[in-house]
Amino acid sequence: MTDSPLAVRDATIGYGRIAISEDLTVDIPEGEFTVILGPNACGKSTLLKALARMLKPSAGQVLLDGRDIHSQPTRAVARRLGLLPQSPVAPDGITVADLVARGRYPHQGLLRQWSREDERVVAEAMAATDIEDLGSRGVDELSGGQRQRVWIAMVLAQQTPLLLLDEPTTFLDITHQIEVLDLCAKLHREGRTLVAVLHDLNQAARYATHLIAMREGAIVAEGAPAEIVTADMVEEVFDLRCRIIDDPETGTPLVIPKAGAPVPA
Amino acid sequence: MSAVTAPFRTPGGAGRSTVLRLGGYSLRLRHRTLAAVLGSLAVLVAVALWSAATGSTPIGIERVWNAVIGEGTKGDEFIVWTLRLPRIATGLAVGACMGLAGALFQNLTRNALGSPDILGLTQGATSGALVAIIVTGASLQVTTVFAALGALGTGLFIWALTRGGDPSGYRLVLVGIGTAAILAGVNGYLLTRTTIIDAFRAVYWLTGDLSGRDWSQARAVGLVLLAGAVAVVALSRGLDALRLGEASATGLGVPVGAVRVAALVTASVLTAGAVAVAGPLAFVALAAPHIAARLTGSSRSFLCAAICGALIVTAADAVAVAGIGDRQLPTGVVTGVVGGAYLIWLLIAHRKKGAMS
Ligand SMILES: Nc1ncnc2c1ncn2[C@@H]1O[C@H](COP(=O)(O)OP(=O)(O)O)[C@@H](O)[C@H]1O
Ligand SMILES: [Mg+2]
Repeated sequence: MTDSPLAVRDATIGYGRIAISEDLTVDIPEGEFTVILGPNACGKSTLLKALARMLKPSAGQVLLDGRDIHSQPTRAVARRLGLLPQSPVAPDGITVADLVARGRYPHQGLLRQWSREDERVVAEAMAATDIEDLGSRGVDELSGGQRQRVWIAMVLAQQTPLLLLDEPTTFLDITHQIEVLDLCAKLHREGRTLVAVLHDLNQAARYATHLIAMREGAIVAEGAPAEIVTADMVEEVFDLRCRIIDDPETGTPLVIPKAGAPVPA
Repeated sequence: MSAVTAPFRTPGGAGRSTVLRLGGYSLRLRHRTLAAVLGSLAVLVAVALWSAATGSTPIGIERVWNAVIGEGTKGDEFIVWTLRLPRIATGLAVGACMGLAGALFQNLTRNALGSPDILGLTQGATSGALVAIIVTGASLQVTTVFAALGALGTGLFIWALTRGGDPSGYRLVLVGIGTAAILAGVNGYLLTRTTIIDAFRAVYWLTGDLSGRDWSQARAVGLVLLAGAVAVVALSRGLDALRLGEASATGLGVPVGAVRVAALVTASVLTAGAVAVAGPLAFVALAAPHIAARLTGSSRSFLCAAICGALIVTAADAVAVAGIGDRQLPTGVVTGVVGGAYLIWLLIAHRKKGAMS
C-alpha cells in the first residue's frame, strides 16, 4: 500500500485496443511538484489523462487516496483533483470572471448557484493569478500568457489540493513560460501537490521537486532532479548526448547538448 | 429571509445578475435572461389569445374569455374548447419540445446547425410515418406512434455509431448528416411504393400541420414536454460545463459520457413527441435556440429556447389558419418560409463572431 494521494498500480492505459503504457506503476508524492517529461508521443498526456480519470485503465488501477478513482463519485473526485488540459476550450465571448467562476462547478448545485463562498473563492483565485483587473475582459482578447493564468485561476477556484497540468507553458514565449512556472512554484509552496507535463528539460530540472522521465510508455527514471538528471539518463530518454552542469542561478542540473548532438543510429 | 445582494457584475458574457440567497440555497438570475424570458412569454400569451379569438370565425377576446370560464354560449364554447384550445395547446407543446430539442442538439454538437432536421431524426420520424401510412392505411394515431418510433430509432442509431470513438460534436454531426441522407433516400423510395391517395396524405403529413388536433394529442405531447423539461433541468449544469470541452468538464466532475447519452436520449424523445403529433414542422428546432441566444445574449437558456419554439409554432399556426384568400395553409409551410427567411437573414446580418456563444 502507499500513502501517496494519487497512484497508478500495474495499469495498462491506452486508446481502444492500442496500449500506450503497460504494467505501469507510478506514485505521485504528496506535497511535491512532480514533472513528467519525455520525448513527444511517449505517453505523458496519456498518463496524465489516466491520473485525471479521463481514461480508464484496461487493467490495473488508478488510486486516489488509496481507493479506485473510478469507483468514487465524479463530484467528490473533482473536489480533490483539478485538471488543466493541454488545449482547453473557452466558449465564444465568455468573460474572464465567468470562466474562473466555472471552477466552482463541483461545489455548486441547481439550488446552490452562487454562494458567498463561491464569490470569495473566485476573487481569491483571480488575485492569486494576478488577473483581478481582467475580470470583465473577453477571454479571447487576452494574450497567451494572460489566458493561461485565467485557466489556472479556474482550476484554483475548484479548491483542490491536487493539480494536474498538461504542458501549461507550450505556445507561450519565454517570459510567459517563466511567469506560469513561477506561479506553479508558488502554488506548490502554498502546500498543493502539483503534477505537470513539461517540454523543456532545463525548466523541468529547475522547477520540479520530483521528476518522472518516460520513454515509449514506460518510466525510465524518477526522483529528485539533482539525483536523476545525468548525461546517461538524458541520452536514454531523449537520444541526446549532453553535458550536465550546475545552473548558475539555482544550482539545479542544466543540460547542455553536445555540438552535433544526436546519437548515431 | 432571502437576502438580495448587490448585483454581481460580470459585464460582457454574462452581464448583470442578481443573486437571491436563502440559507444554504442561492439562485443567480441574469437580468437579460430574465427580461428575455418574461418578454417572449408575454408575446407568446398575446399571440395565443389572438389566435383563439380570430381564425375562420372571429369571436373576439371577450367571448373567448367567457367561454373559457364557462359563461359563453354553447357555440362559443364548442369553438373555443373543442376546436381552438386543443390546437393551440398542441402547438405550444410541440413548439416548446422542438425548441428544447434544438437547444440540446446545438449544445451536444457545439454546432449552430445541430438540429433534428440536420441530424436525421426528422427524417427518421418521416420514415416511421410513411411505413404506417403505406402498411396500415394509417389513422392519425398509428402514424403518430410509428413516427415517434422512427425518430427514437434514429436517435439510438446515431448514438450507437458515435459511442466509444471520438465523442466530439463534429463526429455526431457527420454521422447525423449521413443518416439523414440515407433516410431521405428511404423516404423517397417509400413514397414511390404508395398509391396516389396515400402519397398525397403522406406529403401532407411531411409538411407538418396542426389542424384537427384534439385534447388527446395535446395531452400526449404535453407529457413528453414535461418529462423532457425535467431532464433538461437536471442536465443543464453538466451541459453548460461541457461547453469548456470534454477534458475540462471531466476535471470539474461532470460525468461526461452519461450527460451526453442522457441529452441525446432526451432530445430524441422530445423530437419524437413533437414530430409524431405535428409532423416535421420545418426549421422550428433550428431557429428557436438561435432566437433565444440573440434575446438572452447567451446560448445557456433552455427555458427561453422552449418559449421561442412555442412562439414560432403558435404564431405560424395563426398565420396558417388565416391562410391565403380563403384557403388555410398547412402549419409547416409557414414555419418553413418564416424560419428559412429568418435563418438567411441571420447569416447575412450577423456574420460577426460570437453570435452563438
Ligand atoms: N485520443 C487518442 N486516440 C488514439 N491514440 C492517441 C490518442 N491520443 C494520443 N494517442 C497516441 O498515444 C501516444 C502517446 O500520446 P501522448 O500521451 O499524447 O504523448 P505525449 O507524451 O506527447 O503527451 C501517441 O502515439 C499518440 O499518437
Ligand atoms: Mg502531450
